[in-house]
Amino acid sequence: MMFRLILAFALSCFAALPTPAAAAPVQVITAAASVSGDADRFPQEAPALTVALPDDWADTRPRHDGSVWYRVQVDRPADLPANELLALYIERVCSNAEVFLNGHLIFSGGRMSEPYTRNCYTPQLVTLPVALLKTEANLLDVHVQGHALGRVAARQRAGGLSALQIGPQSLLAGAYHRRMFWNVRAVQLDSVVLAVIGALIAVLGWLHRREAHYGYFGWLALALAFLSSRVWMHDLPFDDSVVEVLTCTGFAMAAGLGVQFFLSYAGLRSREIERALLAQCVLVPIALMLVGPGRIFAVGSLWYALLAGEGLAAMALFLHVAWRERRSDFWPMVVILSGIGSLVLIEMAVQHDILSPPQWPLFHIALPLMLIAIGLRLLQVYARAVQAAEASRSTMETRVQEITAEIERNFAQLAELRVEQVTEKERKRIAGDLHDDLGAKLLTIVHTSESERISTLAREALEEMRLSVRGLTGKPMKLADALADWRAETVSRLGQANVDIDWRSPAEEVEQLLPARSFVQTTRILREAVSNIIKHSGASHCKVRCAVHENQFGLNIQDNGKGIPMELDGKLDRGHGMSSMKHRAKQMQGQCLVESGPGYGTVIRLTLPL
Amino acid sequence: MNNILLLEDLPEIRAWMKALVQNVFPNSIITESARVHDALEQITAVKFDLALIDLGLPDGSGVDVVAALRESQPEAQSVVVTIHDDDDHLFPALQAGAFGYLLKEQARELIAEQLNRMSQGEPPLSPSIARRVISHFASQTRPQERPQNIPHVALTDRENEVLLRVAKGFTLPEIGVQLNLSRHTIADYVKQIYRKLNVSSRAEAALEAQRLGLFRRA
Repeated sequence: MMFRLILAFALSCFAALPTPAAAAPVQVITAAASVSGDADRFPQEAPALTVALPDDWADTRPRHDGSVWYRVQVDRPADLPANELLALYIERVCSNAEVFLNGHLIFSGGRMSEPYTRNCYTPQLVTLPVALLKTEANLLDVHVQGHALGRVAARQRAGGLSALQIGPQSLLAGAYHRRMFWNVRAVQLDSVVLAVIGALIAVLGWLHRREAHYGYFGWLALALAFLSSRVWMHDLPFDDSVVEVLTCTGFAMAAGLGVQFFLSYAGLRSREIERALLAQCVLVPIALMLVGPGRIFAVGSLWYALLAGEGLAAMALFLHVAWRERRSDFWPMVVILSGIGSLVLIEMAVQHDILSPPQWPLFHIALPLMLIAIGLRLLQVYARAVQAAEASRSTMETRVQEITAEIERNFAQLAELRVEQVTEKERKRIAGDLHDDLGAKLLTIVHTSESERISTLAREALEEMRLSVRGLTGKPMKLADALADWRAETVSRLGQANVDIDWRSPAEEVEQLLPARSFVQTTRILREAVSNIIKHSGASHCKVRCAVHENQFGLNIQDNGKGIPMELDGKLDRGHGMSSMKHRAKQMQGQCLVESGPGYGTVIRLTLPL
Repeated sequence: MNNILLLEDLPEIRAWMKALVQNVFPNSIITESARVHDALEQITAVKFDLALIDLGLPDGSGVDVVAALRESQPEAQSVVVTIHDDDDHLFPALQAGAFGYLLKEQARELIAEQLNRMSQGEPPLSPSIARRVISHFASQTRPQERPQNIPHVALTDRENEVLLRVAKGFTLPEIGVQLNLSRHTIADYVKQIYRKLNVSSRAEAALEAQRLGLFRRA
């Protein structure tokens, strides 16, 4: 998507290419009298040569460095409307120029002595003052200060003068502004955007030092933006040769950063290459300074060729890796990098005079655009990585929460288990102590007491103690097992007492559990009831019915004895244990009903929750 | 019953038991002991017909005496006499080879009768003990996983039937009526169950020891 947008932008740029200046009534002057010399005024006495315009010094005076005067004769167009100003438009004059009309200085681009004001990329529009303008044969002198090609690193900065256009200011202003836009403003815009993106990515690179390619790209963008500063700064406090050396060095650094960027983006790294690139940044200025100012172009071109080769190789290597790793951005990068490669090759061709320079600074406009595209791509990758990190962070958070909850749950279970274990151990200890001490003593009483009553009491106390211990230590048991135990004991006891017993429990499997305390209490109640039947009722038959429901069970014990006399029942007890049976049932949130009448036997109905 | 070992640490109870045993078996010679250590020495010296063994003793558990007796005098009958009626205490003694159990606090006549029955080969079996025996045999290692030298013991269908009925709360006489078996036959089944429980438990213990590498395979 992003790439398509950039493509569309680039296409619209092409569509807006400057068109040649309007034909008539603009007068295009393509020849001028020319004199080389440092004079303040056009040296009239020196022999003037007629040169064709545009005059590129590299072709016409290759070794000349310094000052050249051009003189043309201009007539005021007869059909120029009275309210229209006449203007001179110079598409290119390098490095700087002054314009004289009829011997009067009417325009100066800046310093005309070293270091010259650098106006190579800036078109000039000079209004010809009406007061100085004669109807015909006006002398227009253009004084140009420039450098020989050998003393600059790029052909664009070699001395020269384009064709002169003279015409109505309103017409020429359009051409001037178009030229100004493409030569200066577009490059400025590019470099601002590139600098912003570069700074942003450099900061990202600084924050994520393991992702080295961010850092390299950020600094590459910043370096290129800085190199574009020539369109901002016309007057530099250095000699022009120093500026040229610095520019070359800057490109060496940019190339080094570019190579490093592509290598690290491809996931490669080589200490040797890093050292070589660093050494190159030092060698470039040394080499340029050693050969002296006159050979800057020749040596600079060699360096540029080397730098371009390095850059192209790094891009090719990156594309190879991207293809091998089937990276998603392989094809967009192919488009961008082949664009950059073509730009570099075209620029090289221009520098070596194989191609004529394009109308507008293709290299300095398009290269930043391509780098901006790469930068946006990097930002997109970064944003996606942030998104992915955010997503995985929230996943992790959820996971951590789950695990924390699980750990807490486990811990709670463990703690519970531990408490259970400790409690269990303590209960066992108490039970052991009870058996060993209290139990042994009670037992001694049981078997040594002379009195049958005391012996019986001690035996009952022992049984009670044992049941208590069981209630203390026992685990819940299956109701079915409890019923079996009760049945066995009851049948056996009543059998020994010669009482018929008819016990009916549910035939089907009973799954419910009975807490240990309920088992113990019910055992006591049942034991008491059986004891009553054996001791007091005189019954010959006993019916026991068990009914198990969802959450309660019932036990009915019925005998055919003589029943409990009213006065006994009214006074609660006397050895029948009715009140303790009821009390125990209540303790278990159940109830124990006793129905009895003289001669009708006794029915004990026990109901307990499960 | 000629030689009887009486292992009990409380002097009063021991005296009471001694009187009771003498009453049941008038011509017997009773060797008294109050400690596990002494009892273990005595069983190497004297050949016993019956041993009444308390479980909780000052210097250890009566279960060790039961096991030692089962090992050195297989024909001697061990009967556990205890104050603990829960099968957590009784079952290990039965596994070690005890032939039955008596609860100490029971009345003299009841104990005398049970002793008589046991000496005639009619051991008691409560529902909870029956359930423990059932789950013991159910959890046994499968035969194919056992090494060759460890015997495998299984209950017969009849024995299982008796066990299941006891576990459900039926008394031994009731089961005799239900299965149309004589009192002696039922008693034989119970004896077999006790014997197999002991053999199987010893096999399990040997297997466990082998697993732990306590001895090498022959």
